[in-house]
Amino acid sequence: MTDDYDVPENAEAHECRYCGRPFAREEWLALHRGLDHPAQLDDDEIAAFRAAHEAEESALGNFRLRALGALVVIYFCLLMIYALV
Amino acid sequence: MTTRRRVVGWLAGTLSLLLAAGTVSAHGGSLAGGGRESITVPTWLFLSTGGAAVGASFLLASFVTDRSFIERIHDWGAPLSVSDSRLPVLGARAVGLAGYVTVLGIGFFGPTTPQTNLAILLVWVGWWAGLAMTTYLIGNTWRLLNPLDTIALALPSLERDYPARVGAWPSVVGLLALIWLEVVSPLADDPRLLATAIVGYSVLTLSGAVVFGRETWFAEADPVERVFRYYGRVAPIGRADSGLRLRLPGMDLSTPRLVDGRDEVAFIVALLWGTTFDGLVTTPAFTDLTTPLVEAGLPPQLLYPIALAAGFGLFLGAYWLAVRLSRRAADTYLDETDLAERFAPPLLAIAAGYHFAHYLGYFLVLAPALWVTLLSPLSDPGAVPVYEPPGWFGSVGIAAVVVGHLVAIWVAHAAAYETFPSRLQAVRSQYPFIAVMVFYTMTSLWVITRPEVSLPYL
Repeated sequence: MTDDYDVPENAEAHECRYCGRPFAREEWLALHRGLDHPAQLDDDEIAAFRAAHEAEESALGNFRLRALGALVVIYFCLLMIYALV
Repeated sequence: MTTRRRVVGWLAGTLSLLLAAGTVSAHGGSLAGGGRESITVPTWLFLSTGGAAVGASFLLASFVTDRSFIERIHDWGAPLSVSDSRLPVLGARAVGLAGYVTVLGIGFFGPTTPQTNLAILLVWVGWWAGLAMTTYLIGNTWRLLNPLDTIALALPSLERDYPARVGAWPSVVGLLALIWLEVVSPLADDPRLLATAIVGYSVLTLSGAVVFGRETWFAEADPVERVFRYYGRVAPIGRADSGLRLRLPGMDLSTPRLVDGRDEVAFIVALLWGTTFDGLVTTPAFTDLTTPLVEAGLPPQLLYPIALAAGFGLFLGAYWLAVRLSRRAADTYLDETDLAERFAPPLLAIAAGYHFAHYLGYFLVLAPALWVTLLSPLSDPGAVPVYEPPGWFGSVGIAAVVVGHLVAIWVAHAAAYETFPSRLQAVRSQYPFIAVMVFYTMTSLWVITRPEVSLPYL
């Protein structure tokens, strides 16, 4: 990857030691290492990836619930409007 | 296993939602051929439904969180065996050249009625409607057919260095100029004028090819070549490292580095804006809005270029605003240009959807006329057969617009997953882009529900 990065001054950056990509949060770095450099990780990094992955799964579960709620709201709003107009 | 079941469930959900949206928008009038009908639901509701359909499809796409499933869909396909024979290439180049000579010959010396002139029909129906549709539905053949490329093969080249700083900007300006020319001049009615315009464009293109080298010119500066190349990326058949490759339509658009630099991002937005501008100038609102300006002393000749540039600026500004917001929403350290390059290609699927909606009807109506004039190009038959599309045909256009958006949303979703390590971060990065897509959709839907009036001040 030849991506360009733009890290603001004074911002906390967690850099990947394999490719140098900076991340704003440590768990994103952990996920990145597991996804993009799976063969090179040491045991600590593997454990960090597993932990970050589990946390991500539960956050995704919350997100799905909220997205489902938003869909239901959109659907019923349109249904009501069409019934009235 | 559960993921797959979930996906199937949500797909079924999307379909039923789309069907609901489809029956509503079927009243939206026919996109094809310019005949717009009045709609039975209020405009604001029609527009909100369109916008809501885009937003809801995004929510549905965000339920697909299995990275390997997304990768499987995007990598699906097979390499196509291509024969080493030079014959198909030579044949394509010969066909392209024959078409070019025919258009110029018939344009200058054929019948002057536009409906029976082969040059008009070949350029607008055969090439700009028909060939462009095959480009995003099947694959890009213009690269081989392009007659100017064939002629440039025979010309010497000075091989001057093409300034890297200029990049794709000439093609952006060229595309806007072509859109302007198409809107303000009777290029579709006057065969002599059309042939003259083609000669002018050919002289410009060939001199560019001679000065900077054929390949550089067509790769960087030529707007037409670029339009077809970009449309070709939506197609199921595309070029891979070794020969041709078959994949699902649109899936190539999530490939990194497909678009390089702000100039190429601008070209994609210009392509999208062009399809909207075409319809926008014939709305009563455009006349109402511009009348005070012209009365206040704005020269009418400047009106169209200014409107074209202003609208392009607005569309481009909206896109870059979305990029900036997306960078903030995703809390990423990737720079803005990188994000803009990643999420611009999905817009091509939307542009292709609009093109199909606009031109399928036009193509079908006039295809019999093209065939008849092709058989007897020099005689003027007076009347040519046209095809009368059935009443439900308008919904095909709406469906094309919807499908274009669905593909764009899915591809952007996949590109975001590839860009960001966290899946929630990927979803968040898409919020501003979805807002922009909703804005583009509602603008275009608004345009097609307006009655069509003649162009003011021409």
